[in-house]
Amino acid sequence: MKRRLMVLLGLLVVASLVLSACAPAPGGGAPAAEEPAAEAPAAAEQPSSGLGDLPRNETLIADILTGRVGSPDDFNNWVGWKWRDRGMQNLANEPLWSVDFATGEIINGLASGDPVYNDDFTQVTIPLREGVTWSDGEPFTSADVVFTVETLMAHEGFGDNTFFVENVKSVSAPDEYTVAFELNQPNSRFHTKFLDRWGCTWIMPKHIWESVEDPVTFKFNPFVGTGPYKLHSFDPSGFWTIWEKRADWDKSPTGMMFGEPKPTYIVFQNFADEGAKILAQLTHQADVLGVSSDGLQAVLQQCDTCRAYRRDWPYVVNNDPAQTGITFNTAKAPYDSKDVRWALLLAIDIADYMGIAVDGTGALSPVHIPSLSNYPDDFIKPMIPWLEEFTLDIGNGETFQPFDVNASQRIVEYAKGRGHEVSDDPAELGNLFGYGWYKYAPDVAEKLLVKNGFSKNADGKWLLPDGTPWQIACLSGTQAVNHDFRNCAAAVQAWKRFGIDASQYPSEANSSLNATGDFDVSGNWPAQEPWGAGPDLYRVLDWWNSGYIKPLGETTSGHPSRWSSPEMDAVIEKLRNTDPTDYQAVVDVGIEGLKIAIEEMPGIPTYGYVGFVTWDEQYWTNWPGAENPYTQPYTHWGPFKYMTPFLEPTGAE
Amino acid sequence: MFVRRYLIPRFIQYILVIFVGITAVFFIPRLLPNDPVLRTISELRARGATLEPGAMDKIIADLTQMYGLEGSMLDQYGAFWARLLRGDLGVSFFQFPTPVSALIGTALPWTAGLLLTTTILAWVIGNVLGAFAGYYSASRWSQGIDAVAMVIRPMPYYIFAFALLLLFAYAIRWFPVSGGAKLGMQPSYSWPFIQSVLWHSFLPALSIVILGMAVWFQTMKLVVQSVVGESYVQYARLGGVTERKIVTRYVFRNALLPQITGLALSLGLIFSGALITEIVFSYPGLGTLLYRAIINGDYNLIMGITVFSIFAITTIVLIVDLLYPLFDPRIRYS
Repeated sequence: MKRRLMVLLGLLVVASLVLSACAPAPGGGAPAAEEPAAEAPAAAEQPSSGLGDLPRNETLIADILTGRVGSPDDFNNWVGWKWRDRGMQNLANEPLWSVDFATGEIINGLASGDPVYNDDFTQVTIPLREGVTWSDGEPFTSADVVFTVETLMAHEGFGDNTFFVENVKSVSAPDEYTVAFELNQPNSRFHTKFLDRWGCTWIMPKHIWESVEDPVTFKFNPFVGTGPYKLHSFDPSGFWTIWEKRADWDKSPTGMMFGEPKPTYIVFQNFADEGAKILAQLTHQADVLGVSSDGLQAVLQQCDTCRAYRRDWPYVVNNDPAQTGITFNTAKAPYDSKDVRWALLLAIDIADYMGIAVDGTGALSPVHIPSLSNYPDDFIKPMIPWLEEFTLDIGNGETFQPFDVNASQRIVEYAKGRGHEVSDDPAELGNLFGYGWYKYAPDVAEKLLVKNGFSKNADGKWLLPDGTPWQIACLSGTQAVNHDFRNCAAAVQAWKRFGIDASQYPSEANSSLNATGDFDVSGNWPAQEPWGAGPDLYRVLDWWNSGYIKPLGETTSGHPSRWSSPEMDAVIEKLRNTDPTDYQAVVDVGIEGLKIAIEEMPGIPTYGYVGFVTWDEQYWTNWPGAENPYTQPYTHWGPFKYMTPFLEPTGAE
Repeated sequence: MFVRRYLIPRFIQYILVIFVGITAVFFIPRLLPNDPVLRTISELRARGATLEPGAMDKIIADLTQMYGLEGSMLDQYGAFWARLLRGDLGVSFFQFPTPVSALIGTALPWTAGLLLTTTILAWVIGNVLGAFAGYYSASRWSQGIDAVAMVIRPMPYYIFAFALLLLFAYAIRWFPVSGGAKLGMQPSYSWPFIQSVLWHSFLPALSIVILGMAVWFQTMKLVVQSVVGESYVQYARLGGVTERKIVTRYVFRNALLPQITGLALSLGLIFSGALITEIVFSYPGLGTLLYRAIINGDYNLIMGITVFSIFAITTIVLIVDLLYPLFDPRIRYS
């Protein structure tokens, strides 16, 4: 029996070794590239490089923001979630237009200019770029755009089916490089469906898709795009995807606009946790990483060739187009009162708040858009005179002007107190810390609450108008590194100090609870994120449209605050009737909307999203850091492809 | 007699356990506060996707239909069994429309390959060492190994694995930092690929084997020490039975019985993956697949993996039950 047992065990060990060796189903790689980099020059391989046959000094390695790819062989981005940041949107696909939040520009990709609407916005014509080819060499023309829209309209399984069915009466190609849409109803923002802001409707290569039997289940493997890179290979387990520079890169919009991309290969790799990421960068096996604040410190302390977005404190990327803060559920008392919402804002000492949330590293914004890109010049600075005059009625005939143009200076003092070196240049300070916020005025907050029937008990704790203790549970996700969590943590401290029984409510069901209105206060963004470039705030304001609000318990279609007003509805309607290419007119209507949002304060805007990126300069330099922000700094955003021609190889072996 | 009195009731019990387990797996994820449809929409929004607010109702209705979440829970339960009996585990919600079976099929060989090897290796080495250390417990080498095991065993796995990674992948750089094989390498039956897999799985395997060994070593040592004191061992010794026979037939064989049950359970657990190993070493497998499925409220994927795990555990336990008379002659099912 002993011998039989030993044989059995031996067989099991051998079988398991073989199992792992032939693990993923063979044939999982890109059909066109089953033998990866067979022609690539052999690298001077080090024992731990793990890079296979790709030459390291011609290869750029970045992590995949959204993690391990769940459906590695499926590139049909028009159906469901397909991990498009693994190189699809950021290297291989070219949209009609792209947002670049670092420069504030809308970049023409496959389009050669702005859309042209008729007077009542029921027709739009889009000019296309000439001379572009798909990565398989076929020419890109208006027929591809027409085919895409008609295909999306014909199949309900496509994510964009509803939008195009509701909006498009007909689509046609007057010539090879012009597309014309007839719309079912006026829609002055129809073209933004093709504007890439971390995703949009992509164009399908007609010559491939027209012969597909079921486009909804078609995997589109290998991916064929008009970007400067083409699919090289991918891991059937979803850990990496490799892209190779097209030989005809000059036939891509990126190549035409910015020249030849420098890396021959770009690898998007998933690292299971931050420890693995950092080890990879310390051993020069990762060039670009998104990390936490602690991870950033670890890399900067131990890696001589690594840098952050800023070379000095605060190191962070603070021009991400998202405004963080606090959202009130205005469908619930007492948050249905703007006085209460303003009282909770005035109970916040923003210097303390910023210290708790992000160690003072974010840019403040007093309005519901972030202080970045063209927004300070177009909106925030022009609004400062109005903000300074803005007055609250705090009861008993008293008024109060809450805006504090020097609030950002208090963050500067905080930073200096922490021993950080901070520039004295006003332009740099504005860029780093914003252009003012609101006063810390707990006495005024108290008057606003008393005016609305609130009172305090003998312990100095606030009671609701019905005499019961006022408790606030600030809903957030469970990840302490995320900004919804950080905003809640800071707000809870401020409100506790003010005498409210406040606590943090982290939940994995955060998104569901926000959507169905099962919360009082949350760390959700106080307004929908703006485009991040250009003057149009339609994307922000339309989410406060009264038409989208649902009763509590039902999933809201608009912003989770469930706030709206007839005045805001009127501004939204006005914006719909404003030509999106009329820069100043769009700005003026946007400012009108922002003023209403400030008066009503459905959510508290605090600081712009703070991100952390580390770049290793061992193999690649000229990253778009704060000193030279020629494009946005992330590898997961669409304009990463526009960064590739500007990167410089060091030639290191 | 064996079939009627043991095999049939045992098989009914086997089916019943599977049915109850799968039923629980169907209902428990649905009690989570995570709504997979809202979670999908939220993820898309969080990633910057422009979802038209005016079209939200339609998007929700479409996703609900596509995910098979229409109707009452009982309707869904009926549809689930109908699918399962056809061998269809459905599609993943979050990786739609990838079939759950395809996701499991990709991850399982990695998990099974690593964990089957390491579980068996740790069991064999741990038990052999533990058996001798228990029998010769007074010796210096036995006490030395025991001391090492005492240090290793309480060590949190994450710390231990990360320490190995730091030492061998960062400080000495003998092994890769992460992954199951070299970047750019496609799975094949070629020697370079097999070599690459073995090279990449060495550290994860080492971490599991060392910690697993310490556990098996200590339990085996204690059991052997207990068996050595049993009266039948004393009688055998007094009766002149050879030392070799006492060790192999009287002591080790009896001490091995609880370890075989333990091995069966460990082998069954393989099929739910090794989450921490996969995270530390960025190793492909079922653990992270299950973890992400739970976080995303991906009911079908959760059910697919756990159904597989339930089958594996119950089947292995059944097999071990049936094989037990081979190991323990005192047990006779007839």
